[in-house]
Amino acid sequence: MELTEEDVLEILRLIEESDFEYFELRSGDLNLTVSKGGYAPAGHAAAPLAPPQPPQRREEPAAAEAPAPEGPARGPADRDGLAPIVAPMVGTFYRAPEPGAAPFVEVGAPVEADTTVGLVEVMKVFTSIPAGTAGTIAEVVAGNAEFVEKGAVLFYVTPGAA
Amino acid sequence: MALGRVFIANRGEIAVRVIEACRGLGIETVAGVSEADTDSLAAEMADHAVVIGPAAPAESYLDIDAVLGAARSAGADGLHPGYGFLAEQPGLAQACAEAGIRFIGPDADIIAAMGNKLAARARAQALGVPVVPGSPEVRSRAEAAAAAAEIGYPLLMKAAAGGGGRGIKIVAGADGLDVAFATASAEARAAFGDETLYMERYIANARHIEVQVLGDGFGSVIHAGERDCSVQRRYQKVVEEAPAPGLTDELRAGIRAAAVTLAKAIGYQNAGTVEFIVDGDAGCFYFLEMNTRIQVEHPVTEMITGLDLVAEQIRIAGGAPLSVAQEDIAFSGHAIECRITAEDAATGFRPCPGRIGDWQAPAGEGIRVDSHCRAGTLVPPHYDSLLAKLIVSGENRIKAVSRLQEALAEFTVTGVDTTIPFLRLLTCQLDFVRGGVNTRWLEGNLESLKGGI
Repeated sequence: MELTEEDVLEILRLIEESDFEYFELRSGDLNLTVSKGGYAPAGHAAAPLAPPQPPQRREEPAAAEAPAPEGPARGPADRDGLAPIVAPMVGTFYRAPEPGAAPFVEVGAPVEADTTVGLVEVMKVFTSIPAGTAGTIAEVVAGNAEFVEKGAVLFYVTPGAA
Repeated sequence: MALGRVFIANRGEIAVRVIEACRGLGIETVAGVSEADTDSLAAEMADHAVVIGPAAPAESYLDIDAVLGAARSAGADGLHPGYGFLAEQPGLAQACAEAGIRFIGPDADIIAAMGNKLAARARAQALGVPVVPGSPEVRSRAEAAAAAAEIGYPLLMKAAAGGGGRGIKIVAGADGLDVAFATASAEARAAFGDETLYMERYIANARHIEVQVLGDGFGSVIHAGERDCSVQRRYQKVVEEAPAPGLTDELRAGIRAAAVTLAKAIGYQNAGTVEFIVDGDAGCFYFLEMNTRIQVEHPVTEMITGLDLVAEQIRIAGGAPLSVAQEDIAFSGHAIECRITAEDAATGFRPCPGRIGDWQAPAGEGIRVDSHCRAGTLVPPHYDSLLAKLIVSGENRIKAVSRLQEALAEFTVTGVDTTIPFLRLLTCQLDFVRGGVNTRWLEGNLESLKGGI
């Protein structure tokens, strides 16, 4: 006997009133998993997640061993006494909050560690870039709307009290 | 006259979808691609591919001159804009008309008329289609305060030139009004080049229901049923389905009729979608906006009607009448679509461009995957993060949900993070399995869902 949609909805009502957190229903070609809250144990909903993806994407250690690639990805740390502000991810770098607006910072601007110095857009999502170091902007390295690699230097800061 | 060569002014899965529809109709295709997409599936599948500009969308997919120039030199007699990018820019439709290329969508004046959300709202109101209680244009803080006193809090402040969930602010109370007005006007000016705002009552228990309409150049306007797109995050749709579960017959019929009324009144041609808000507490519906393009979620309508909406679009643009009448459209079963994006739900939906390693998409009865991705596809960082749409159908909603869960369990993608693990959890939540959640449900359950990944 196959369960009708009404039968299943009635079962769901019973589950809601019960203490069950997790429930699997198999009947004919129906193979339904139901959970209250985020919990989803061993069933088919969770099993495929089991091996978490190894952290193989663009790792930091690789960058430490190998020199930064040639081209637009300018590697950090080649200015004495200056602290680089680097792109936290690959994307398009913007110096201003919106087209036509004044840049967040210019050379000579005092910054705190949490001062926003630019934005990086990736897949239509904008992330603000904090200076990370208190001091004064010494050099603007990346241009507005320039495509930057992860780790590319955007600015150099002369550390010190802002 | 039927089209002979269609230029595809888009990328990703919708470019592939349009190419497949053209193939089915025996029409040649030209894919206009950016430098980042020269190895894309669309470029490979199309009869011809031309580079329209650099990777940055502003210099390629959003550049009307670049797109039109490429379409002209390719000798195209039709242009499909897909969705997003220039699909709802009257300028592209106008430029096509001037160049003698059929724009596969409505005429520029209809796009412009519906593009201004305030004007569209007034149009609907004049036709007796209910709109959310709200204000006309508010030009100052004083006008906003006066309108707010009438509408009541909480309310929504919206950009007239916005749409698709962009340019919306929730105002909780009178003390937040001034700041909301200032920031909303500034953002609207920056994002849309038009700072005009209006206000609407905020409906707490809202469902997003939209109706697919089709019109031809011969006065026929029909609907192909409604879709429920209430599972949203930040006003972006995550899961869509058809038909909308749990509506009364009266409400369903009323919404469909209102959509046709509006589309007929404006002489709508081609495929479009009329969006409504259903107030779950009051049991009534309101017009929200009209989208003058093919929607991302069109496949769920195709799955329950058997229509090929993209092919229908191309035929209409070629001057043919609708291939079906209203009475020919029969609805069968239930369909659900999930948007699979390159985002990591566990870290606040951080975008994850990169190269796809393994790609194993589910297949089988009642399963459809619309995608431009394969093993080894490079997902560029310049564009939105949609990788695939997984669409399933079943003879009823419960069977469709069951099939969706199984299909998600089989879907394997490595190399980039995707929302598949998140969707697996979402689709087994009791509220979702039962159906009929409101537009706040997903946001309200995000934390517990993320905890389960």
